[in-house]
Amino acid sequence: MVEKKKKSAGDLFADLSMPILLVLLVIVFSIMSKNFLTPLNITNILVQNVHVAIVATAVMIIMISGGCDLSIGYQMSVAAVLVAKMMSVHNVPVVVSVICGIVLCSLLGTFNGFMALKLKSNTMIVTLGTMAIFQGISFLISGSKTYHNLPRSFMMVGQGRIFGWLPINVVIMVVIIIAAGFVMGKTAVGRKVYAAGDNPEAARLAGLNVGKIKVLSFTVAGILVGIAAILLTSRSGSADSGTGVGIEFTGITACVLSGVALKGGEGTLWKVIVAVFALGVLANGMQLINLGAYPQYIAKGLIMLASLYITNKNAKGM
Amino acid sequence: MGENGAGKSTFIKSISGAIRPTSGSIEFEGQTYPYMEPSKAIEMGIAVVYQELIQFEAMSVADNIFMGVKDDQGIVLNDKSRQKKAAELLAEFDCHVSPAELIRNLSIANRQIVELTKAMVRNAKVIIMDEPTAAITVSEQESLFKLVDKLKANQVTVIYISHRLDELFRICDRVSILRDGQYVTTKNIADTSKQELINFMVGRELTNTYPEKKPAGSEVVLTVKNVTGNGVRNINFELHKGEILGFAGLVGAGRTELMHLIFGAARKESGQILFKGQEKKLNSPKDGMDAGVALIPEDRKFQGCFIDKPIYWNISISTIDHLAKGGVVDRKAEDQLAADYKTRLKIKTPFLDQVASGLSGGNQQKVVIAKALAADPDILIFDEPTRGIDIGARHEIYLLMNELAEQGKSILMVSSDMEELLGMSERIIVLHEGEQTGELKREEFSQEKVLALASGM
Repeated sequence: MVEKKKKSAGDLFADLSMPILLVLLVIVFSIMSKNFLTPLNITNILVQNVHVAIVATAVMIIMISGGCDLSIGYQMSVAAVLVAKMMSVHNVPVVVSVICGIVLCSLLGTFNGFMALKLKSNTMIVTLGTMAIFQGISFLISGSKTYHNLPRSFMMVGQGRIFGWLPINVVIMVVIIIAAGFVMGKTAVGRKVYAAGDNPEAARLAGLNVGKIKVLSFTVAGILVGIAAILLTSRSGSADSGTGVGIEFTGITACVLSGVALKGGEGTLWKVIVAVFALGVLANGMQLINLGAYPQYIAKGLIMLASLYITNKNAKGM
Repeated sequence: MGENGAGKSTFIKSISGAIRPTSGSIEFEGQTYPYMEPSKAIEMGIAVVYQELIQFEAMSVADNIFMGVKDDQGIVLNDKSRQKKAAELLAEFDCHVSPAELIRNLSIANRQIVELTKAMVRNAKVIIMDEPTAAITVSEQESLFKLVDKLKANQVTVIYISHRLDELFRICDRVSILRDGQYVTTKNIADTSKQELINFMVGRELTNTYPEKKPAGSEVVLTVKNVTGNGVRNINFELHKGEILGFAGLVGAGRTELMHLIFGAARKESGQILFKGQEKKLNSPKDGMDAGVALIPEDRKFQGCFIDKPIYWNISISTIDHLAKGGVVDRKAEDQLAADYKTRLKIKTPFLDQVASGLSGGNQQKVVIAKALAADPDILIFDEPTRGIDIGARHEIYLLMNELAEQGKSILMVSSDMEELLGMSERIIVLHEGEQTGELKREEFSQEKVLALASGM
């Protein structure tokens, strides 16, 4: 029988800092606005953050593998305009278009990882470059147009409800999170991603193909980004080259807040997801209490700094 | 001069102020100081040219030379006059690189000259050079020696750290020997010989006892034939089943590099590596492991351990695919594996989900060994198996190595610890600057012989 180490109070607090933040925000906004804790508003928060949660999952996988991807927003943009154009302009069947969008994003992700490997460069710099490329591709596809008349069946994915109350996109999100959490936490593949990010040299000497693992992490992240782009497009009912742009930063923020290590090798999915929704609740709540746009930025920044302080202080056991 | 770990670098760091001595004092030009500070040392005229040059890589030669030197030109730096001055100074040392060139584009030899010029600009009275010839070519070495001669002619005192005997006789007037962190003696170069210096460097009794081991069999498990690449040339040896084969050499002799070739962590250029007579693919550590080799790397923290990960995680990582059923890690089997090795290697920890950084050096090393053993190798490479490990844990590691060898594993052991080499090995192969200079059998073992071969004599 193997004994388990008990967690110290500090570790436990660092583990729970995101749930605590989320609960605190919910309590505060429930008190400040009677419109906050209603089934409608809660469903809104969930639905509005589906794509953010999936992007954050992708960001987490890349960060655990030791990388960083700044081009995710424009990967989404490319996928969104491609899928929308295929369906609305060329009348390609929905399923075919969706598959094309997801495959395209997985290729873009693989391209990022492969370039970082071949150029032996920092992934952040490489994706800064590919971001510009993807931006160009997106505008070439869209010609700065916005696509509106998307097929009804496609819109169902983002707007439909099962039993009249359960949003389809939320169900998809839950399935993806469970699958990603399972792969990263329970499988040999997941273990290798952590190893490659934590200490690439030790991983190499332990017989792992570190380059392959890192590129594959980008590929899988690309697939998730593609799905996020489809869900966002179908919920908003339109797509242009601005779709998804900047979401990678929300994803990175959620990851960093929940303790995903910038150097790689560390991170837990459920904490990332809780952080996504803490950020979502914060944005939603500040809207409801009619905080002006500028004070919102300041409040958001302050809360982020405060939670970083708490997380790091406790993680180091000081 | 002195062997690996004799305390040469620590000694110069105390003089330059990089570290503070715990007792004693430093006397310089009649003044006594309890310790030095880097800025004070520079001001007083003590300059160090470290082995790993510390320079501003992205700045020009002239900028590096004059960095921190007060200039009469006011706030704005005058590049032209600085570069002209720098060129004049460099020319004195027969160095004709452009002063506008960036440091990172220079050869190591030229970078050393820049460091020396920098020292001259600061009116250095004492220049300390730490193994300056370790990273430069033979022809560059000769110009470096001329430079040292020139410095001497300019009344500059040079402290020249080296473990290469030949150089000392070429450029030095006197030589002091350190051994195991202690001062041994000082000799006039004219009154001594290489053999005498080696005797001073060794000069210790073998004190530790090493566990007895059954002698190895005659079955050959590994044959290395004319292997060249990764900094080593023409290496030839055989490893027998159940043998502990030691590899001696000074730092930079290419021992670790050779091990990486055998493990597949680096690629050979030519020659053959045969496992039980068969050549195997060796393009990656994975290939090495498939061929039955496991490596316990020299740098435990950066190459061996995943320091922030739990013990069980560290032990299972290289065999994680075998522990998975349909891709899903079998946590029970994983814990069982870790628990088995905890008992077998006597890893001292109450919990197997303790992270590795919380363990002592000896226990961390056991975790790394467990990781290697989990892959069930035939050949184990121990690169500096007891570096940074206390005496008690060392003995346990020695016992374990013997036990493994007696069970039929074959061991290649790289070590810079002379006693360990002589005490544990059945044969020793000595490398010197990438070449094999000798092979010693147990009955021929002596510290003097190993050191003479390692010094290229």
